[in-house]
Amino acid sequence: MTTMIEASQVSKFFGGLVAVNKVDLVVPEHSIASIIGPNGAGKTTLFNCVSGFYKPERGEIVFKGKRINGLSTNQIADLGIARTYQNIRLFANMTAIENVIVGQTPHLKTTWLDAVFNTRRFGKEEKTAVEESRRLLKYTGLAGLGDNLARNLPYGAQRRLEIARALANKPSLLLLDEPTAGMNPQETAVMTRFIRSLRDELGITIILIEHDMRVVMDISDQISVLDYGVKIAEGKPKEIQANPKVIEAYLGPGAAALSQKYQRQRHASNA
Amino acid sequence: MNSKSLRNGLRSGTIFSVIIIFFFLIGFIITGPALVAKLFGIYVQQGAPPDVSMLAIFLGLLGLWAGIMAAKPVDSDTYFSTGGAGLAAGVLSGLVSGVFGYSFGTLYAAGIDMRNYLSNVSPPSVNYFIFNQAPLVGALILLVLLSLSGLLGGLLAKAMRGERRRAFSSNLRDRWANLKNQPLILKAEKFRWTRYILMGLVLILLAFLPTQIGSYWDYVIGTVGIYVILGLGLNIIVGLAGQLVLGYVAFFAIGAYAVALLNAPRPLDLLVGFWVALLAAIVFSALAGLLVGLPILSLRGDYLAIVTLGLGEIIRILLSSDAMTPFTGGPRGVPNIGGPVIFGLDFSNDIDLLYLILLFVLLAIFISQRIQNSHTGRSWVSIREDETVSKATGVDTFRSKLLALALGAAFAGIGGALFAVRNQFTGPEDHGLMVSINVLALVIVGGMGSIPGVILGSFALKGLPEILRELDNYRLLFFGALLVVMMILRPEGLWPARRQRIEKASPEEVLEPAEKLEAVPKPVDPLPAKGEEKT
Repeated sequence: MTTMIEASQVSKFFGGLVAVNKVDLVVPEHSIASIIGPNGAGKTTLFNCVSGFYKPERGEIVFKGKRINGLSTNQIADLGIARTYQNIRLFANMTAIENVIVGQTPHLKTTWLDAVFNTRRFGKEEKTAVEESRRLLKYTGLAGLGDNLARNLPYGAQRRLEIARALANKPSLLLLDEPTAGMNPQETAVMTRFIRSLRDELGITIILIEHDMRVVMDISDQISVLDYGVKIAEGKPKEIQANPKVIEAYLGPGAAALSQKYQRQRHASNA
Repeated sequence: MNSKSLRNGLRSGTIFSVIIIFFFLIGFIITGPALVAKLFGIYVQQGAPPDVSMLAIFLGLLGLWAGIMAAKPVDSDTYFSTGGAGLAAGVLSGLVSGVFGYSFGTLYAAGIDMRNYLSNVSPPSVNYFIFNQAPLVGALILLVLLSLSGLLGGLLAKAMRGERRRAFSSNLRDRWANLKNQPLILKAEKFRWTRYILMGLVLILLAFLPTQIGSYWDYVIGTVGIYVILGLGLNIIVGLAGQLVLGYVAFFAIGAYAVALLNAPRPLDLLVGFWVALLAAIVFSALAGLLVGLPILSLRGDYLAIVTLGLGEIIRILLSSDAMTPFTGGPRGVPNIGGPVIFGLDFSNDIDLLYLILLFVLLAIFISQRIQNSHTGRSWVSIREDETVSKATGVDTFRSKLLALALGAAFAGIGGALFAVRNQFTGPEDHGLMVSINVLALVIVGGMGSIPGVILGSFALKGLPEILRELDNYRLLFFGALLVVMMILRPEGLWPARRQRIEKASPEEVLEPAEKLEAVPKPVDPLPAKGEEKT
């Protein structure tokens, strides 16, 4: 399995605050990697470093063998990295389908002059862009809602539309920032299946930030745990669940010992 | 009648008291009735008070309005409560204006000329306000008149709200819906030639218009046309790309001066001909847009506004500076700009220039329309909506904004060139801050990002003041009031932008979106089964 993205020793400072501290992250192709950690652990900051919103002060991020830190966000998008946002950030006053078409920008080559003279190239590109967007809306379950303004869509549909917009880039790496935030268990289950199908059907590598542990444990091939900007653990879901450092990061010092105690008691009572 | 409707009445009464007193203080108490007289076709000498009956009608209408405003729907919506509210409004405004009229009348009778303190309160207007009667009698007339009209307004408001009206309006709406669903109209909507036929009709109208309406209206429509071009340009920058540029006049000035300097005998005597000069104007202003944009377009919001505001002023000051006088003609401007010449024929009279302006208006509309509905236009709107996300989605925001600024500047260049050629003169005073403000205002009034909005806005802001010329001194007052009313009634602009329908979903798709939301693309089985499939 080849490596999709490799971050090595990435550090990001905000003034005196070390938001991300020497984090290494290797994500192989066709895998779902999750980043978890308590609030303020630096998960989204790491995302922002990968997608180019922030320039990391130290370290290197290599995507498909190409160094990407220092590139601007649109150049990174051109390379095939797409993302969604923790708090939904759609183009609110554009229609749903327009959002998806804007998402295809890296693949649209015609200029404004083509538009003015309505060249054949322009017509063809416009037609394929609309068809592709229609297909993506259907794929995300939004068919028939395309001509509504994005801000008028219900919450769940907005989340899907963000993903549709990201998919329009035909990304090889998709960064999902809390895709199930604010969803009920049923919607969460649907979204979980959907994310898995993105990998299985479209072959997209996914990095996921998620607080819902059921989702994380269910679909992740690999989990990295951040705490205070430092990666404290990494591994398969089972390994992370048992890792005392992770338990302490979430529940406070001493929690791991306590949990072991309870587990022993449970074993004893079961036996 | 309860305390709530009384409160409504007193509130409305207060507002209309202030309005009446304001009208009195600015001398409108004569102009208003004069307008009423004009409506009845009665000749009134300019500035002289018409018959007092006109004042009665004028104040009666104000009282009616006060009553209607007072009669807001309350819990117990009866004729008694609304009439009471209207009466309260009328009595209050009547009392206030009565007291006012009485005191001013007494002062006037005592021989004190209020014009020393309030320049618009002339003795005739004071006298007219109290119906040419003794102060006390006049005050009583005011009180009775306003009370009665307020009461009437209150009752009228209830009657207008009644069931009958609601039935009438819903009936009208049904009819309209029916009309729209007539097979013939539906067919016509689908029939793509309908649009072209309509456009053809407009074109024919435009072709005959300039020769028929006389030179004054030619001039007015020409001005509106130039502002449509300017508005469409700024619409690209502000309405679509969302970049608040306040120094738009800079590009207007560059266009005007390019044509002026290249095609006038003084100060440079280049005389390259109008068409070359026009082309140069477009190129120079677009280049200016590019050059200005390079350093400043990384700024956002307020900062961009302030920098561009400075730019507009710098250009104007530069044009009138002593240092530049040998090149730009300095404060005295550039006179005798040559008009368009085709095959040796001179086309610089008003009508020909109007045709030229209309031609460019159509061209500007065409280009705006094409770009707006393309991927370039959508990129601009996405920048307006959320620049950061737009960039992360792959839009090269800097280049996109630069293109918007250059295109907008080119439109301004055309506008400036046409403006200078039509006046055969341009000077620094033509390029003040007000040009930028006017163009921005018309884009906002019309509706940001909307092409028909820009056209309507130009008519409202540049055409309407000409029509309101009848009101002479109170023109700007009325204009301001109109803008306020418009912003209350249509806060998104006269003709707000609508997004194009692109998906054009079939009816069954639209009907069941809720169900669609539940649908998931090919539900994948739970994990274990999947694992088995893979092996």
